[in-house]
Amino acid sequence: MEDVLAGVLATAVASGTIIALAALGEVLAERTGVLNLGLEGIMAMGAVSAIIAVNVFSTTAFGGLVTSAIVGLLMGAMFAVATVIFKANQVLCGLALTFFGTGLAGRLGAPYAGQPAQARFQRVPIPLLSDLPILGRGLFNHNVLVYFAFLLLPIIVTFLLYRTRHGLSVRAVGENPSAADASGIGVAGLRFLYTSVGAGLSAMAGAYLTLAFIPSWAEGVTGGRGWIAIALVIFAGWRPIPIVLGALLFGAVTSLGFVAQLRDWGIPAAFLSMMPYLSTLLLMLIPFMTKRRGERRLGTAPDALGLPYFREEG
Amino acid sequence: MKAEPSSPRTFPWRLQRQIGVTPWAGLLARGVAVLLALIISGVVIELGGLPAIDLAKRAIESTLGSAYGLQQAGLLATSLILTGLSVAVCMRMRIWNIGAEGQLFMGAWAATAIGIHIEGPVIPMFLAMFLAAAMAGALWILVPALVRAYWNVNEIITTLLLNFVAILFVNHFSMGPWRDRVVGVLTATYRIPYELPSLVGTLHIGILIAILIAIGLYFVFNNTRWGYEVTTIGRNRRAAEFTGMPVTRNILIVMLLSGAIAGLAGAIIVTGTAHRLSGFISNEYGYSGIIVAALANASPIATIIAGFLLAVLLNAGIVLSTQGLSVNAVIAINGLILLFAAIGEVAASYRLVRDVEEGPGESPIGGPQWGTPVESAAGAVDTGQGGEVET
Repeated sequence: MEDVLAGVLATAVASGTIIALAALGEVLAERTGVLNLGLEGIMAMGAVSAIIAVNVFSTTAFGGLVTSAIVGLLMGAMFAVATVIFKANQVLCGLALTFFGTGLAGRLGAPYAGQPAQARFQRVPIPLLSDLPILGRGLFNHNVLVYFAFLLLPIIVTFLLYRTRHGLSVRAVGENPSAADASGIGVAGLRFLYTSVGAGLSAMAGAYLTLAFIPSWAEGVTGGRGWIAIALVIFAGWRPIPIVLGALLFGAVTSLGFVAQLRDWGIPAAFLSMMPYLSTLLLMLIPFMTKRRGERRLGTAPDALGLPYFREEG
Repeated sequence: MKAEPSSPRTFPWRLQRQIGVTPWAGLLARGVAVLLALIISGVVIELGGLPAIDLAKRAIESTLGSAYGLQQAGLLATSLILTGLSVAVCMRMRIWNIGAEGQLFMGAWAATAIGIHIEGPVIPMFLAMFLAAAMAGALWILVPALVRAYWNVNEIITTLLLNFVAILFVNHFSMGPWRDRVVGVLTATYRIPYELPSLVGTLHIGILIAILIAIGLYFVFNNTRWGYEVTTIGRNRRAAEFTGMPVTRNILIVMLLSGAIAGLAGAIIVTGTAHRLSGFISNEYGYSGIIVAALANASPIATIIAGFLLAVLLNAGIVLSTQGLSVNAVIAINGLILLFAAIGEVAASYRLVRDVEEGPGESPIGGPQWGTPVESAAGAVDTGQGGEVET
């Protein structure tokens, strides 16, 4: 029983990491008012570039991670050029990026499908804490990316958004770009920066998939996790800490599915595999269900989310 | 206010953004987008060590050079036109149905359920299968439609998440309870004993159904009160509400109609080309439908043309998969097309105007397209219907 619990917890944390990384990246972009629906494609490209770096160019796992982060930054910059510089429709460009990324990843990765990753992220047990019963194996015996996604990154994002002047500017750009512009904040610059950084984090989530979680590459390896991350941002009300908790919750659902499959609880595998998608859908609806009439919810979308900013002229 | 003669600006022309895009500028922008995407893909393919020009030649020959190739492209176009229409119907109202893929699978599932379990005369059977497919497609979008209509929940993500559920659902049946144990295939159901009749060669009459639906939608959008309401709500929801149009009800109707069309596409695929339900019946038609609808600017008639265009591309990817292209490569190229089309849409809204003294006569004309944010659409209601949405 202890083993099962520890295993469920460990898998929950591990699969939640993918969502946490991507969703924390997305929240940075969305806080500046840019809705990046291309996460799925960026994550797929991150996953494939990491495996190519490691298996073809024999880099270390860290090298693979950096490669995928650079690929993600470039794709984010590509999206930002289209939506921030040219001010094209963000929904269309996001979908375009998803098609572009998943298609290209499928084509580039075809020769490496099924190959195990030659370099992987190793577990780094935290001294003392990892000796705890159940929790030790469940929470404190993971690779560095997991700790980064659940501890370091949420702290950085929270501090940046809520405790710095820069973060205030970021939020101002997302809520009211013309007021931000009038007060001298560079709207386009901030949007460009955080769209790219967010995309880089999503790509790292892809690298985590192929270099730690699975660890190999196959077509469709991302399995909609980019979209789940976007849904999680809505569920979490665009706040970093709820995002991390939501990612854990999502991980727990996924993990329970694995356990049910292994222990054969009599539910067909296909229906268990649906659970992450269906529970994400349900989670997404909760903030709307609990909304009372006339009451302003905590955590609403940035007012300018999805809208290109044109400076009023003459 | 007043331009001094000694003004530092010597060049009298400047770019000015207009609200809305004239049909010709929009068409030109999308044409350039497709060309640009193809050229860039060609350069990348060439850099990747494949002969791009040779591949392009073969792609054209294999599709347009023979009757068989044309028929194959026609089959792909059937699905792409239908999913394109499904997305376009929603797009008219600025709603995004990203779930056509899932609705298509559910339609195919429903048609198969009837096809392999019930025996009957051909025509009633086809009617039953098509009706069931349309209902299954509509049912699959029901929850996203309800929460969009009443709670304003983002329909992009809800419709998309259900795609994964639908494919898992279909896989469960095609690899489990309905698997053909006689032939011993692992991933497909029993053969459906009803086949859509052929039109020419391998091309079945599904293409006519798709074109008829497109024409029907054209008339509905241009000649009925309801079509006018949908277009108006799409242009300016708030103004439509003020004039008393039933916005919530129309969101529901439009989304269910969209799901039904995608479901029908699934029924046509399993009765026309695939004959057995499996997880492989769709070449991402539902997703490509988004690109078809975007290229067609949500116009039903233009959807036919855009559907054929993407069908030729997709066919090239399938035929040339041994030479290094693949369906995935085509999806990547489609992504580029969509990206450039979205940029082109904005570029087309700029006009070169002469810097003279500003007067009221210079105010931009034309209503907004689906690409412009709703907020900028104020005052567009009185421009009438069908004026600038291409048909």
